[in-house]
Amino acid sequence: MIGKAPRWTIVVVGIVACIWIIPIIGIVVTSVRPPQDITLGWWRLDTVRFTLDAWIRVWSEYPLAQSFVTTAQLAVIATVGTMLLTPAAAYAFHFLKFPFRRLLLIIIINAFVLPQQVVIIPLFQLWRDLGLLDNFASVLIPYVGLSFAWSIFLVKNFLEDFPKELVEAGRIDGCGPLRIFWHIVLPNSLAPVAAVGILQFLWTWNALLLPMLYLRSDVPLPVLLTRVAGTYELNWDLRSVAAIVTTIVPLLIFLIFQRQFAAGSENRTGAKE
Amino acid sequence: MAAPVALPATDRAMAKSSRTPVGQRKLPHQPGRRLGDVPAAAILLIPVLILFGISVAFPLVETIRISFFDIRGLAAPKFVGIENYFRLFADPAFRNTLWTTLVFTLSTTAISVSIGWTLAMLCNFAPRETTVFRVMIFAAFGVSEAVVGYMWVSIFRPDVAGLLNSFIALFGMPGFAHPWLGDPQTALLAIVISASWGGVGLPLMLCFAAVQSIPRTVLEAAYMDGAKPLSVMRHILMPLSMQGVRVAIFINLLGALRAFDIIFVMTGGGPVRSTETVGYFMYRESMTQFKLGYGAAATVVLLIAVLVISIPAIIQRTAGAK
Repeated sequence: MIGKAPRWTIVVVGIVACIWIIPIIGIVVTSVRPPQDITLGWWRLDTVRFTLDAWIRVWSEYPLAQSFVTTAQLAVIATVGTMLLTPAAAYAFHFLKFPFRRLLLIIIINAFVLPQQVVIIPLFQLWRDLGLLDNFASVLIPYVGLSFAWSIFLVKNFLEDFPKELVEAGRIDGCGPLRIFWHIVLPNSLAPVAAVGILQFLWTWNALLLPMLYLRSDVPLPVLLTRVAGTYELNWDLRSVAAIVTTIVPLLIFLIFQRQFAAGSENRTGAKE
Repeated sequence: MAAPVALPATDRAMAKSSRTPVGQRKLPHQPGRRLGDVPAAAILLIPVLILFGISVAFPLVETIRISFFDIRGLAAPKFVGIENYFRLFADPAFRNTLWTTLVFTLSTTAISVSIGWTLAMLCNFAPRETTVFRVMIFAAFGVSEAVVGYMWVSIFRPDVAGLLNSFIALFGMPGFAHPWLGDPQTALLAIVISASWGGVGLPLMLCFAAVQSIPRTVLEAAYMDGAKPLSVMRHILMPLSMQGVRVAIFINLLGALRAFDIIFVMTGGGPVRSTETVGYFMYRESMTQFKLGYGAAATVVLLIAVLVISIPAIIQRTAGAK
């Protein structure tokens, strides 16, 4: 872009990038080498042997498979919930007239600043009183409820540029507000709704604090990982497998959609110009 | 919390919104015409408002309310006014927590944004050749926070298999080998480094995108006028990347203030509570010590800090909400 590209800039960035992925390489290598070969460090090349032993044993040592299913269930339900409710709300806020519309909108889109620490004590008491602790609903409700602050903002921003002519044409043809939403606005807003879905999926997959406090028996992967890593056994190979399994799905999704993610996270925390 | 900001602007919006959209009045057979859009809006919004109410509005009000009560475990709550706040600021552990939060938040943000920005500037000299490298660095941002903590625990391990200690030994300074996470002097530094590792990707991408969006013609014109690459950098690229920097600083500050996962995984707030931020302190007091009122008071302090740094973003969002 600037024409004369000095070669050294590429070299510098390349070296930094290679240093940057050392922690990731570390757990991958640890997971496929026999523990006795790497007691002096995973990078040592004294004896080079490859084993999938940890990858095979981990499933019987920890409830990793169960946890994977739980995580996927929670993430999918929360993502679908957000993807269904967000465009409906964004449409209502943008195209419909009703009392307190702007007040509600302002409250919802500014709630993005709230740290999740605010949620944990009141919801802990509420779920305890309702007997909902250890029920998936105890995390799904806040997962979806907390997402609206950024998701409605993101979809409504998209709707600002939505052609009004389409909506008016629908109205003249006798469509009510609900049919305009379902047949005109929703089919033409799939891109931002998909972006919302990806962000919500990553966020719920990685969630640690809420499920750690509200779920006991069936826990998602990040919670299981903290339990596994908290033991004092020297099982770095098994722990590394658990860490890889925990992060592989969100990491792949993140890498596939990384361009959109850089743009979307800007909206998520709200500093859109 | 956003209500006071919102109120003055609302009347204006309501006045504007009474303008009837084209075509609406002209269709007499339209159902619910007198109520206008209200029934449809109710159908679309009620599930959202219920979920938002349970998971945002209720907890916000309730946290503030119970911060005025003394609640221990299942015993009946006792109203104590602002005593929790007095006790909080008299508690040396909490005052230490405020300092830790400040150090953690500012240093994580400063390190991530400065490295991210520098790399973005370097990448702009060769956007295509550095694509792979950018994705490699950005990938760290996509790793689950709990896993980031785990990865760095293995790097800071006190034994020889810890990468950092081995690296130090390589330079013949075995005396510097250190139980990084076990020493109150270095544990916070270790967490700052780990959090910054994941945090660099976003500023890198935001600043890079900001500079890439500068039209080619602007840069060509600068070169035609005889500008050197360094002065292009100084007078065009740096000012124009500032928007990306501002966004990145804000996101990193917010993220660091609410940090929990990485601290929980790496040190659990220890050793001797040296790595507890306010966000972690409230968890410990309320969820492990069951002092719910006390923990809620700490949460309110965190909330105030978050609101203060979010004022510009809140004003911007409120003004933009049409």
